[in-house]
Amino acid sequence: MTDTNSVIASLEDEAQKQEKPVSQWMLVWRRMRRHKLAMFGMGVLLFLVLLSLFAATIAPYTYDEQDLTKVFGSWFVAGLPDKPVHVFGTDSLGRDTLTRILYAGRISLGVALVVTLLSIAIGTVVGAVSGAFGGWVDGILMRFTDLMLTLPQLPLLLILSSSLRQFVGLQNLLGSSLSVVIIVFVLVIFGWMGVARLVRGSVLSLRSMDFIEAARALGAGRSRIIFRHLIPNSLAPIIVAATLGFGVVIITESALSFLGFGVMPPVPTWGNMLNEARSAPQVGYTLFTQTLAPGLCIFLTVLSVNFIGDGLRDALDPRLKM
Amino acid sequence: MTNFLIRRLIQSVILLFFISALIYIILNLVPGGPFDMLRQANPRITQTQIDRLNAMLDLDKPILPGEYCPKIGKIQEPCRLDQGRYLRWLGRVATGDFGKSWTVSTGVKVTKIIGYRFGYTFVLMFISELLALLIAVPIGIYSAVHQYSKVDFSVTAFAFFGQSMPTFWTGLLVMSLFAVALGWFPTGGVKSSGMPGDIVEAFGNLFSLGTAYPKLSGKEFKVIMDGLWHVALPAAVLVYFTMAGWVRFTRAAMLEVLRQDYMRTARAKGLAERLVINKHGLRNALIPLITLEALNIPNLFGGAIITETIFSWPGMGRQLIDAITSVDWPIVQGILVITAVLIVFSNLLADILYAIIDPRIKYS
Repeated sequence: MTDTNSVIASLEDEAQKQEKPVSQWMLVWRRMRRHKLAMFGMGVLLFLVLLSLFAATIAPYTYDEQDLTKVFGSWFVAGLPDKPVHVFGTDSLGRDTLTRILYAGRISLGVALVVTLLSIAIGTVVGAVSGAFGGWVDGILMRFTDLMLTLPQLPLLLILSSSLRQFVGLQNLLGSSLSVVIIVFVLVIFGWMGVARLVRGSVLSLRSMDFIEAARALGAGRSRIIFRHLIPNSLAPIIVAATLGFGVVIITESALSFLGFGVMPPVPTWGNMLNEARSAPQVGYTLFTQTLAPGLCIFLTVLSVNFIGDGLRDALDPRLKM
Repeated sequence: MTNFLIRRLIQSVILLFFISALIYIILNLVPGGPFDMLRQANPRITQTQIDRLNAMLDLDKPILPGEYCPKIGKIQEPCRLDQGRYLRWLGRVATGDFGKSWTVSTGVKVTKIIGYRFGYTFVLMFISELLALLIAVPIGIYSAVHQYSKVDFSVTAFAFFGQSMPTFWTGLLVMSLFAVALGWFPTGGVKSSGMPGDIVEAFGNLFSLGTAYPKLSGKEFKVIMDGLWHVALPAAVLVYFTMAGWVRFTRAAMLEVLRQDYMRTARAKGLAERLVINKHGLRNALIPLITLEALNIPNLFGGAIITETIFSWPGMGRQLIDAITSVDWPIVQGILVITAVLIVFSNLLADILYAIIDPRIKYS
């Protein structure tokens, strides 16, 4: 008796070893690892994030340390005695460009992360509610989404961010972080529509499936069905949209800051550093050296994010190949 | 189809009503008006004078009807329908009157300013969009036909790069290299200082058979060449960025078509590969591309805000930035409303074109 039991137990052990259950996310990760460009993108993005997270320890200078004798210094211009060289040169006030790029990364990446998360949250709720309820709720929400999609975006972003700054109450409340808060707010206002449509579409196709029927038969309420069944099952397209949206937010934020309507100068971002670079004397390669580094950060971030998004699309849903 | 058209038209008009309301309300809720500068420049100006100026511009009235009107004499009463200034403004806009500029060029009609700027934006945008299209479509098709080849790989990489490089960066790089450092092109503007006119005036003169700018007659070619020299860098920046998106789009559309059964049928009945690709493949892949083009029409009018700013190209985008920074709402409203109208109707046009080109699509 005991003998057979132990044999059965060892057999079961063996079986478990062979068929180790693989979760959906492990499968995604396995497919992801085969996508070389996505892995490259992840590496670069991780590198940039770490650099900006540890800006305070890595940066050779502090971000507002001025050296007015070396204004618009070129690459590898010597720093003050007993201080490191300015690898990427210096800006209009003789501040170390490399240091400022690291600190700017915090703002640019942070703003993009917050904006993406908020837009995704709003878009998901709007889309899921719209798709699950249908009827007049769907009609109103989707007409409003269409309206927001039809508005000329960049001009309205410029107008909103320049006009919100005029309100004295907001100025007193937020102080120097005013421009950062405004840019997040404004970008979220125009950021959620794509996701809302995506989620609505996916919910509409899921709604008639058997497992939703089963959940309803088991007595699940509407909100439980939306948040525990419909949204989790629409996650794949949401994640891809979030990744690609992150890149768009980085570009839009830098564009606004570049035009002087985004994050304001004492706070560095890659966009407003490029704006400051424009005032460089137009002699020889000065403008080029001033422009290259901050823009390269934007470019690398967006490129990696696009690669990651592409890889995720392939990994999450092999049918969605483009 | 007719029913569909009528329904879409009505929807478009309603949509435009809401868009214009949104634009007008956002702009008019901003604190500070056109006379803030005046007040700063001339501290002796009294509130009564400011009030009178505001009344001249309709700014003393409430935005929507139903709110209370300013005191006339001592009686305060609800506004009549025609006294809310949003509806009054909308009525004027419907007749094509966008009012006069407040601050940028005080007193000049907005329609005149927009008409003047449109020429420059159109030259820049038309050249770059056309070039982008002419380059992107063949490359995208080739890349799709030779999927996973070396060419395809580099084309895809190139497109990814183009989409990830923001125009304000490429613009500054191109300018710093080819204009500042090497001096091959001008850093900005529309014409060299010695030229008797610019490219828009030269075209205007050609089209009006020498009556618009008589002083340019006979010199048009020189002026246009000078203009093209100035347009080269901003156009190149725009071409690269636009093209990147279109290459990927064309490639995806073509890949989709290549998978279809009718392609196999065409090959099976013995058609030459060239014919299969060009006649059966390309023509079907062009369908989504044409709708994309229709959706792109508003850009021909609205211009490229960033590129125009970098290269000080006096087009619509730059005018918009100037108007926003100097609180010139009539100009901003004018540009935004026209852009919105173009967006709504290009959407409609795209739908119609889609149905005309592709008989499989039926609207009911």
